[in-house]
Amino acid sequence: MAARRVAGGCWQRALCLGRRCRLPGGRESYRSSSSTSALGKTVDNSQVTQEEIVLPRRKTWDKLAVLQALASTVNRDPTAAHYMFQDDPFLMPRNAANARLYSLSKESGRNAAKYIIKNFPQYFDKTFAEPNVPCLMPESLTPQTEGVSEGALRERIHLRLVKESVDMFDQLLQAGTPVSLETTNSLLDLLCFYGGGEPTPQKEQEEKEGLEEPEVNASEQKAPKRQFQRGSQSSGPKWRENNHAERIFKVMPERNAHSYCTMIRGMVKHEAYSKAYDMYIDLLNERHKADVHTFNALIRAVPYLKERFPERWELAKEFLTHMAQQKVQPTLLTFNSVLKSLRRCGGVGRAVSLSVLKEMEALDIEPSLASYDHLLSMFYKGADPQSSDIISEVLNEVEKRSFTAQDPDDANFFNTAMQVCCDLKDIKLAYQLNRALEKGDNWKFLDVDRLNGYWSKFFSLLCMMEQIEVVLKWYKEMSSSLFYPSPKNILDLLQALDAANQLEVIPSVWEDVKQLGFSRIPDVLEEFLSLMSRDQHPSEIQLAFAKCAEDIKAVHEPAGPGQVPLEWTGSALGHVVVLFSRAGRTQDAWNMMEHFQKINRIPTDKVMDEFLNCAKQTNCPDEAIKMVKLAASLGLLSSQRLKSRMEKEFELSETQKKALESIKWDGDSSDSDSDSSDSDSE
Amino acid sequence: MAARAGRCCRAGLSCGALLSPALLSPAVLSRAPATPRWGRAAFSSAPAVSGREGPQAREGSVRRRGRTLQFVRSAAPPRTERMAVDQDWSSVYPTAAAFKPASVPLPIRMGYPVKGGVPPPKEGNLELIKIPNFLHLTPPAIKKHCAALKDFCTEWPSALDSDEKCEQHFPIEIETVDYVSSGTSIRNPKARVVTLRVKLSSLNLDDHAKKKLIKLVGERYCQETDVLTITTDRCPLRRQNYDYSMHLLTVLYHESWKTEKWESEKSEEDMEEYVWENSHSQKNALDTLLRIKASENVSNVTKEELLASEVVKNYRNSVIALKNEGETESNISQYKESVKKLLNIQA
Repeated sequence: MAARRVAGGCWQRALCLGRRCRLPGGRESYRSSSSTSALGKTVDNSQVTQEEIVLPRRKTWDKLAVLQALASTVNRDPTAAHYMFQDDPFLMPRNAANARLYSLSKESGRNAAKYIIKNFPQYFDKTFAEPNVPCLMPESLTPQTEGVSEGALRERIHLRLVKESVDMFDQLLQAGTPVSLETTNSLLDLLCFYGGGEPTPQKEQEEKEGLEEPEVNASEQKAPKRQFQRGSQSSGPKWRENNHAERIFKVMPERNAHSYCTMIRGMVKHEAYSKAYDMYIDLLNERHKADVHTFNALIRAVPYLKERFPERWELAKEFLTHMAQQKVQPTLLTFNSVLKSLRRCGGVGRAVSLSVLKEMEALDIEPSLASYDHLLSMFYKGADPQSSDIISEVLNEVEKRSFTAQDPDDANFFNTAMQVCCDLKDIKLAYQLNRALEKGDNWKFLDVDRLNGYWSKFFSLLCMMEQIEVVLKWYKEMSSSLFYPSPKNILDLLQALDAANQLEVIPSVWEDVKQLGFSRIPDVLEEFLSLMSRDQHPSEIQLAFAKCAEDIKAVHEPAGPGQVPLEWTGSALGHVVVLFSRAGRTQDAWNMMEHFQKINRIPTDKVMDEFLNCAKQTNCPDEAIKMVKLAASLGLLSSQRLKSRMEKEFELSETQKKALESIKWDGDSSDSDSDSSDSDSE
Repeated sequence: MAARAGRCCRAGLSCGALLSPALLSPAVLSRAPATPRWGRAAFSSAPAVSGREGPQAREGSVRRRGRTLQFVRSAAPPRTERMAVDQDWSSVYPTAAAFKPASVPLPIRMGYPVKGGVPPPKEGNLELIKIPNFLHLTPPAIKKHCAALKDFCTEWPSALDSDEKCEQHFPIEIETVDYVSSGTSIRNPKARVVTLRVKLSSLNLDDHAKKKLIKLVGERYCQETDVLTITTDRCPLRRQNYDYSMHLLTVLYHESWKTEKWESEKSEEDMEEYVWENSHSQKNALDTLLRIKASENVSNVTKEELLASEVVKNYRNSVIALKNEGETESNISQYKESVKKLLNIQA
């Protein structure tokens, strides 16, 4: 029946075939009404069969449950990039920089669309969606209320129009209209949130993201800005002397605790710490009580208020005792703020942090990932890493629970913990941490940037500590679907391959490196070449190596317009010659040999011997003679030895013998000036 | 659905192709300040690109041109090359999506072949993108989905282990259709239609009521399957239509049990089927037989005896068959035989 399809393309029919019980209620009512029921016959039958039909209760579930169940059937695809990217070979990012650029481009496109919708709402007046999706419709950003009144002020505050709200407030003040305490407080809220300045659209965006999704999208967006603003080291405008917030606070006829709290929080947010402390003293003098958020802000400000570590801890303790006196119940964020401040208290922090955790336990507050993050950085950053095994305790604790985002700092935990594992070189801990990450929704704590950092560290650790088979398995699983290896990761992998004596894998790694766009990084090239040319391998491996060498050679040669070729180094050139020689590609090897003269470098003895071997095997005495000539012209000491080798090992024709003789003569005569050129080049 | 997504994807591609020359050409960049709105948009994207350069961002257009050239690059090899033979396909195609040649490791060809050649391969093949595909609904994927959705199903009542029992206990069948589409609206006017099916044999009806009900419902009753089908779509909501169809069934049932005054006037022409008893045929046959008996001087033969006799029964059945089923060859010959026996004619 489901196969019956409605003509008309995109409609899919989901057939719902239900058999429904005719009569509501249980069997009793069924039977009693049997004489008049249309289904009396049926009732008789069921009495005959004497079977109890138990109708199951209808199940209910929340709206997303089905989708989540279906999503649970899908695993990560190890060959695909993150799903936000286009699944197309041309449009998939190749490396971390690409991935970031593409995700930012996508986000910027989204922002552009939002900009258009916001600024031209008149073109978006139709609601096509059924039911309507309000968040896709343009918001009304222009205030509806005209005139100067408190209502108009409230509306402007609601629409977050900072400048207009301040102007309106001033006008009201000049007109002598009293503004209610509540409205003034919400105006203060607005001003303190934005630090007294007008929010630019971009900043507003950032703030909103920061408010709504603390860990998923925020840093993805902020990343470029962070770098942009690294010089100033601040995320927003600083608190200025006598800004609108302070001015309005001063002219307020009466102030309540909320006004003070808002001011303190705004000052801490915008880095006016000592002012915030003064404001707190004022609040105490006015005999008001601060709320828990204010205390959190103040505790976070502690490291900036006092210089010495014990003084900082004393001040934090003072705030905590004040909280107890004012009967303010501390929250998770309070303790996280304490721990965050303790991070900047050196040894004092280490000493008291565990008692802070005990206190949390006593108050029945479960620590969040941010608490553990602070703890780890307290114990492992700058301190002797071997000093404690707190990491394993933390991991045991983390593994037992699943977390939701509660603190903006939660997102840092996994990266910090992985860094600690790397510092300790403890692969078991790293596996344990990874298990914790895979549990539940913990993966949500890692955004694109942090994901890359985390896996990059993990991979380096794997390369260092694990069996090569395991490393390669992880590499295949993770590379380009979970993270994009950095050049350092590639070097680590090469070292691991070298240690495990599995150099035959190198060509496939080289392919990946080309894809990652690292083929122009000299360190990586050097490592590849030295590993490939170090030992003699079976011929098919040598052929594959020679192919890699060819790619590397191509990088050093001018390819297209605008592509600046890489400069040859002497050792790279030597390695390439050796690789070509071992693969029996005499002509290519000779072409490379010629480069030595161009870049004023000298081939090593090993390189020349390899070349001679190759020439012998492929029976190319001409090239061999040319090489000896080259060596002689460079005035190398080994040219004599090479010549004698040639005479011994090669079957030379008469003309070739003559040529060889003439070289010798050349070499002899140029001995004196080749010495001088030698010293030039060295 | 897939086709639409595919088109969307193509649009994205062509847009990119249009953009990149625009970025490359300095003319566009220099023209930007003249158009203020777009100029700002173009400017706001510039820091995102050059932001990573930091202090060198000022170095002007020469540097920027150098950067843009780095973006000119070839496509990566398709990821089908890296796929393992035993990979989990439902992770590659988790949802309905347009055909992606670089992600489907099958040597598919489609389209109009060149003369004497083969259809074009999958790479960049529009024909393959246009058609909807079911790559996300492979049998293993559906199995997985079913397993995942099992938690949402209630257990089937164990007493209802056969179709017959289902029909017996739940004679009414309701059919509704839900529509899923990738449009802007989740509503579909066709979803309101409700179809109710019930077998007349499961209703408590006598002969009169049944015949009346059939007369009332007309073509909604299927003689062959004995099923009454009521389709309601006149109300705007499904629930209302369901209630309405139930109402109709109830009304029909009670109406058919009523016997109106004028129903007694029902004559032979109004009958739904031929009934031999008390018909002209019976009367004539009995008359004829009685006269035959009288001429043969066989008295004390009653009508009842005649009716119970084999030949008359035979005759009756053949007449009924002839009238109700129509003139078929076997019916006619059966009728012939019975008439011959009835009149005792030897041929």
